[in-house]
Amino acid sequence: MAGPAHPEAMAPPTPGRTRTAPPQMPSTWWSSPRIRTYLLFDATGIIYFFVGFLAIKIVGQLGEGPIAWQAQMKALENPIYIVFHVISLISVIFVAVRFFRLFPKAQPPAIGPAKPPPGPVIHAGLYVVWLGLTALISLALAGVIL
Amino acid sequence: MKTLLLKLEPLIWFMFGQGIMIGTMLLTGWILVLGILMPLGIVDPMNLNYVRAQQLFTTSLLGIPIAQLLLAALLVLPLWKGAHHVRSLLIDFGGGERDGIVGTVLYLIAIVGSVMGIGAVAGI
Repeated sequence: MAGPAHPEAMAPPTPGRTRTAPPQMPSTWWSSPRIRTYLLFDATGIIYFFVGFLAIKIVGQLGEGPIAWQAQMKALENPIYIVFHVISLISVIFVAVRFFRLFPKAQPPAIGPAKPPPGPVIHAGLYVVWLGLTALISLALAGVIL
Repeated sequence: MKTLLLKLEPLIWFMFGQGIMIGTMLLTGWILVLGILMPLGIVDPMNLNYVRAQQLFTTSLLGIPIAQLLLAALLVLPLWKGAHHVRSLLIDFGGGERDGIVGTVLYLIAIVGSVMGIGAVAGI
Protein backbone atom coordinates (compact mmCIF):
# COMPACT_ATOMS: atom_id res chain seq x y z
CA MET A 1 0.00 0.00 0.00
CA ALA A 2 1.33 3.42 -0.90
CA GLY A 3 2.26 5.81 1.90
CA PRO A 4 0.46 9.08 2.50
CA ALA A 5 1.13 11.87 0.00
CA HIS A 6 3.70 14.45 1.09
CA PRO A 7 2.11 17.89 1.52
CA GLU A 8 4.81 19.42 -0.69
CA ALA A 9 4.53 16.65 -3.30
CA MET A 10 3.29 19.04 -6.00
CA ALA A 11 5.84 21.79 -5.25
CA PRO A 12 8.40 22.49 -8.01
CA PRO A 13 11.87 20.97 -7.35
CA THR A 14 13.45 24.43 -7.21
CA PRO A 15 11.76 27.59 -5.90
CA GLY A 16 10.37 29.86 -8.63
CA ARG A 17 11.56 33.39 -9.23
CA THR A 18 8.37 34.89 -7.91
CA ARG A 19 8.33 35.27 -4.15
CA THR A 20 5.24 33.73 -2.58
CA ALA A 21 3.87 34.13 0.92
CA PRO A 22 3.21 30.99 2.94
CA PRO A 23 -0.49 30.07 2.95
CA GLN A 24 -2.31 31.66 5.87
CA MET A 25 -5.81 31.25 7.10
CA PRO A 26 -7.68 34.59 7.10
CA SER A 27 -8.34 35.82 10.64
CA THR A 28 -12.06 36.07 9.85
CA TRP A 29 -12.34 32.46 8.64
CA TRP A 30 -15.00 31.68 11.23
CA SER A 31 -17.32 34.49 10.13
CA SER A 32 -18.27 33.01 6.78
CA PRO A 33 -21.97 31.98 7.05
CA ARG A 34 -21.34 28.36 5.96
CA ILE A 35 -18.45 27.94 8.40
CA ARG A 36 -20.43 29.65 11.15
CA THR A 37 -23.29 27.17 10.79
CA TYR A 38 -20.81 24.31 10.79
CA LEU A 39 -19.10 25.65 13.93
CA LEU A 40 -22.47 26.15 15.60
CA PHE A 41 -23.31 22.53 14.81
CA ASP A 42 -20.06 21.44 16.49
CA ALA A 43 -20.66 23.79 19.43
CA THR A 44 -23.93 22.02 20.23
CA GLY A 45 -21.60 19.30 21.53
CA ILE A 46 -20.98 21.48 24.60
CA ILE A 47 -24.74 21.62 25.25
CA TYR A 48 -25.06 17.84 24.75
CA PHE A 49 -22.30 17.31 27.31
CA PHE A 50 -24.06 19.47 29.91
CA VAL A 51 -27.55 18.17 29.19
CA GLY A 52 -26.26 14.56 29.34
CA PHE A 53 -24.59 15.03 32.71
CA LEU A 54 -27.62 16.92 34.05
CA ALA A 55 -29.90 14.06 32.95
CA ILE A 56 -27.58 11.60 34.74
CA LYS A 57 -27.87 13.70 37.90
CA ILE A 58 -31.67 13.81 37.61
CA VAL A 59 -31.98 10.03 37.19
CA GLY A 60 -29.42 9.52 39.96
CA GLN A 61 -31.66 11.49 42.33
CA LEU A 62 -34.54 9.16 41.52
CA GLY A 63 -32.43 6.31 42.87
CA GLU A 64 -31.76 8.29 46.06
CA GLY A 65 -35.40 8.25 47.15
CA PRO A 66 -38.56 10.40 47.13
CA ILE A 67 -37.12 13.37 49.04
CA ALA A 68 -34.12 13.68 46.71
CA TRP A 69 -36.41 13.32 43.68
CA GLN A 70 -38.80 16.04 44.86
CA ALA A 71 -35.85 18.32 45.64
CA GLN A 72 -34.45 17.70 42.14
CA MET A 73 -37.78 18.49 40.50
CA LYS A 74 -38.00 21.67 42.58
CA ALA A 75 -34.44 22.63 41.60
CA LEU A 76 -35.37 22.40 37.91
CA GLU A 77 -37.75 25.34 38.48
CA ASN A 78 -34.72 27.62 38.91
CA PRO A 79 -34.75 30.11 35.97
CA ILE A 80 -31.12 29.23 35.18
CA TYR A 81 -32.13 25.62 34.54
CA ILE A 82 -35.15 26.71 32.50
CA VAL A 83 -33.06 29.03 30.30
CA PHE A 84 -30.46 26.27 29.89
CA HIS A 85 -33.17 23.81 28.84
CA VAL A 86 -34.64 26.29 26.34
CA ILE A 87 -31.15 26.69 24.80
CA SER A 88 -30.79 22.90 24.85
CA LEU A 89 -34.12 22.43 23.07
CA ILE A 90 -33.10 24.92 20.37
CA SER A 91 -29.76 23.09 20.01
CA VAL A 92 -31.38 19.67 19.75
CA ILE A 93 -33.86 20.89 17.10
CA PHE A 94 -31.01 22.55 15.17
CA VAL A 95 -28.96 19.32 15.27
CA ALA A 96 -31.95 17.24 14.18
CA VAL A 97 -32.89 19.49 11.25
CA ARG A 98 -29.28 19.76 10.00
CA PHE A 99 -28.34 16.13 10.58
CA PHE A 100 -31.51 14.71 9.05
CA ARG A 101 -30.88 16.84 5.95
CA LEU A 102 -27.31 15.54 5.67
CA PHE A 103 -28.10 11.90 6.48
CA PRO A 104 -29.66 10.87 3.12
CA LYS A 105 -26.67 12.37 1.27
CA ALA A 106 -24.26 10.25 3.34
CA GLN A 107 -25.85 6.94 2.35
CA PRO A 108 -23.86 4.54 0.15
CA PRO A 109 -25.33 3.99 -3.32
CA ALA A 110 -25.84 0.31 -2.48
CA ILE A 111 -25.09 -2.21 0.25
CA GLY A 112 -24.63 -5.47 -1.64
CA PRO A 113 -27.76 -5.97 -3.76
CA ALA A 114 -29.84 -3.63 -1.57
CA LYS A 115 -30.22 0.00 -2.53
CA PRO A 116 -31.27 2.60 0.05
CA PRO A 117 -34.63 4.31 -0.47
CA PRO A 118 -34.64 7.69 -2.26
CA GLY A 119 -33.28 10.61 -0.23
CA PRO A 120 -36.65 12.33 0.38
CA VAL A 121 -38.09 9.06 1.73
CA ILE A 122 -35.20 8.67 4.22
CA HIS A 123 -35.54 12.35 5.15
CA ALA A 124 -39.28 12.06 5.77
CA GLY A 125 -38.79 8.78 7.66
CA LEU A 126 -36.33 10.39 10.06
CA TYR A 127 -38.81 13.18 10.80
CA VAL A 128 -41.64 10.68 11.39
CA VAL A 129 -39.51 8.67 13.88
CA TRP A 130 -38.19 11.82 15.60
CA LEU A 131 -41.58 13.49 16.00
CA GLY A 132 -43.23 10.19 16.92
CA LEU A 133 -40.67 9.42 19.63
CA THR A 134 -40.83 12.99 20.91
CA ALA A 135 -44.63 12.79 21.17
CA LEU A 136 -44.45 9.37 22.85
CA ILE A 137 -41.81 10.42 25.40
CA SER A 138 -43.51 13.77 26.09
CA LEU A 139 -46.92 12.15 26.67
CA ALA A 140 -45.39 9.43 28.86
CA LEU A 141 -43.47 11.92 31.01
CA ALA A 142 -46.51 14.19 31.26
CA GLY A 143 -48.62 11.28 32.52
CA VAL A 144 -51.02 11.27 29.56
CA ILE A 145 -50.09 7.72 28.54
CA LEU A 146 -48.50 4.72 30.36
CA MET B 1 -2.49 8.71 21.99
CA LYS B 2 -3.27 9.69 18.41
CA THR B 3 -2.52 6.16 17.18
CA LEU B 4 -4.86 4.70 19.79
CA LEU B 5 -7.61 7.14 18.79
CA LEU B 6 -7.15 6.16 15.14
CA LYS B 7 -7.44 2.47 16.05
CA LEU B 8 -10.60 3.17 18.07
CA GLU B 9 -12.03 5.42 15.33
CA PRO B 10 -14.74 2.92 14.22
CA LEU B 11 -16.02 2.56 17.81
CA ILE B 12 -15.83 6.30 18.44
CA TRP B 13 -17.72 7.04 15.23
CA PHE B 14 -20.32 4.39 16.06
CA MET B 15 -21.02 5.97 19.47
CA PHE B 16 -20.93 9.48 17.97
CA GLY B 17 -23.35 8.46 15.22
CA GLN B 18 -25.78 6.91 17.70
CA GLY B 19 -25.40 9.98 19.91
CA ILE B 20 -26.33 12.38 17.19
CA MET B 21 -29.19 10.22 15.85
CA ILE B 22 -30.74 8.35 18.79
CA GLY B 23 -29.55 10.82 21.43
CA THR B 24 -31.21 13.72 19.62
CA MET B 25 -34.44 11.77 19.07
CA LEU B 26 -34.71 10.83 22.75
CA LEU B 27 -33.58 14.14 24.23
CA THR B 28 -36.20 16.33 22.55
CA GLY B 29 -39.19 15.11 24.58
CA TRP B 30 -37.11 14.83 27.77
CA ILE B 31 -35.93 18.45 27.59
CA LEU B 32 -39.35 19.73 26.53
CA VAL B 33 -41.33 18.16 29.39
CA LEU B 34 -38.85 17.72 32.25
CA GLY B 35 -36.78 20.83 31.55
CA ILE B 36 -39.38 23.35 30.38
CA LEU B 37 -43.08 22.42 30.65
CA MET B 38 -42.97 20.97 34.19
CA PRO B 39 -40.80 23.69 35.75
CA LEU B 40 -43.06 26.34 34.18
CA GLY B 41 -46.14 24.58 35.57
CA ILE B 42 -47.64 23.99 32.11
CA VAL B 43 -47.55 20.25 32.91
CA ASP B 44 -48.26 19.30 36.52
CA PRO B 45 -45.00 18.00 38.09
CA MET B 46 -47.11 15.65 40.23
CA ASN B 47 -47.69 13.64 37.05
CA LEU B 48 -44.08 12.55 37.48
CA ASN B 49 -43.93 12.17 41.23
CA TYR B 50 -41.53 9.66 42.77
CA VAL B 51 -43.87 6.65 42.61
CA ARG B 52 -44.94 7.28 39.02
CA ALA B 53 -41.38 8.07 37.89
CA GLN B 54 -40.23 4.76 39.40
CA GLN B 55 -43.03 2.91 37.59
CA LEU B 56 -42.48 4.70 34.28
CA PHE B 57 -38.70 4.26 34.19
CA THR B 58 -38.90 0.55 35.06
CA THR B 59 -41.61 -0.32 32.51
CA SER B 60 -40.95 -3.65 30.78
CA LEU B 61 -42.30 -5.00 27.54
CA LEU B 62 -42.32 -8.80 27.06
CA GLY B 63 -39.82 -9.10 29.88
CA ILE B 64 -37.44 -6.59 28.28
CA PRO B 65 -36.70 -3.55 30.49
CA ILE B 66 -37.47 -1.25 27.58
CA ALA B 67 -37.77 1.97 29.64
CA GLN B 68 -34.41 1.43 31.34
CA LEU B 69 -32.75 0.69 27.99
CA LEU B 70 -34.20 3.88 26.48
CA LEU B 71 -33.21 5.86 29.56
CA ALA B 72 -29.66 4.50 29.44
CA ALA B 73 -29.44 5.48 25.76
CA LEU B 74 -30.77 8.95 26.60
CA LEU B 75 -28.12 9.44 29.29
CA VAL B 76 -25.12 7.86 27.57
CA LEU B 77 -25.33 8.63 23.85
CA PRO B 78 -25.44 12.46 23.99
CA LEU B 79 -22.11 12.40 25.86
CA TRP B 80 -20.44 10.77 22.84
CA LYS B 81 -21.94 13.27 20.43
CA GLY B 82 -20.72 15.98 22.80
CA ALA B 83 -17.20 14.57 23.12
CA HIS B 84 -16.71 14.16 19.38
CA HIS B 85 -18.09 17.54 18.41
CA VAL B 86 -16.18 19.40 21.13
CA ARG B 87 -13.03 17.66 19.86
CA SER B 88 -13.83 18.79 16.34
CA LEU B 89 -14.47 22.35 17.56
CA LEU B 90 -11.14 22.44 19.41
CA ILE B 91 -9.30 21.24 16.29
CA ASP B 92 -10.95 24.05 14.30
CA PHE B 93 -9.87 26.71 16.78
CA GLY B 94 -6.69 25.27 18.26
CA GLY B 95 -5.23 23.14 15.48
CA GLY B 96 -4.48 19.44 15.51
CA GLU B 97 -1.20 19.41 17.46
CA ARG B 98 -2.83 18.58 20.79
CA ASP B 99 -5.66 16.53 19.31
CA GLY B 100 -4.28 13.26 20.73
CA ILE B 101 -4.46 14.39 24.36
CA VAL B 102 -7.59 16.53 23.90
CA GLY B 103 -9.48 13.69 22.18
CA THR B 104 -8.38 11.19 24.80
CA VAL B 105 -9.53 13.42 27.68
CA LEU B 106 -12.90 14.10 26.02
CA TYR B 107 -13.59 10.41 25.30
CA LEU B 108 -12.51 9.51 28.85
CA ILE B 109 -15.10 12.00 30.15
CA ALA B 110 -17.67 10.31 27.89
CA ILE B 111 -16.65 6.86 29.20
CA VAL B 112 -16.88 7.99 32.84
CA GLY B 113 -20.24 9.65 32.12
CA SER B 114 -21.47 6.48 30.40
CA VAL B 115 -20.60 4.39 33.46
CA MET B 116 -22.30 6.96 35.71
CA GLY B 117 -25.38 6.97 33.45
CA ILE B 118 -25.70 3.18 33.41
CA GLY B 119 -25.15 3.18 37.18
CA ALA B 120 -27.90 5.78 37.64
CA VAL B 121 -30.35 3.73 35.58
CA ALA B 122 -29.42 0.52 37.39
CA GLY B 123 -29.96 2.32 40.71
CA ILE B 124 -33.62 3.17 40.04
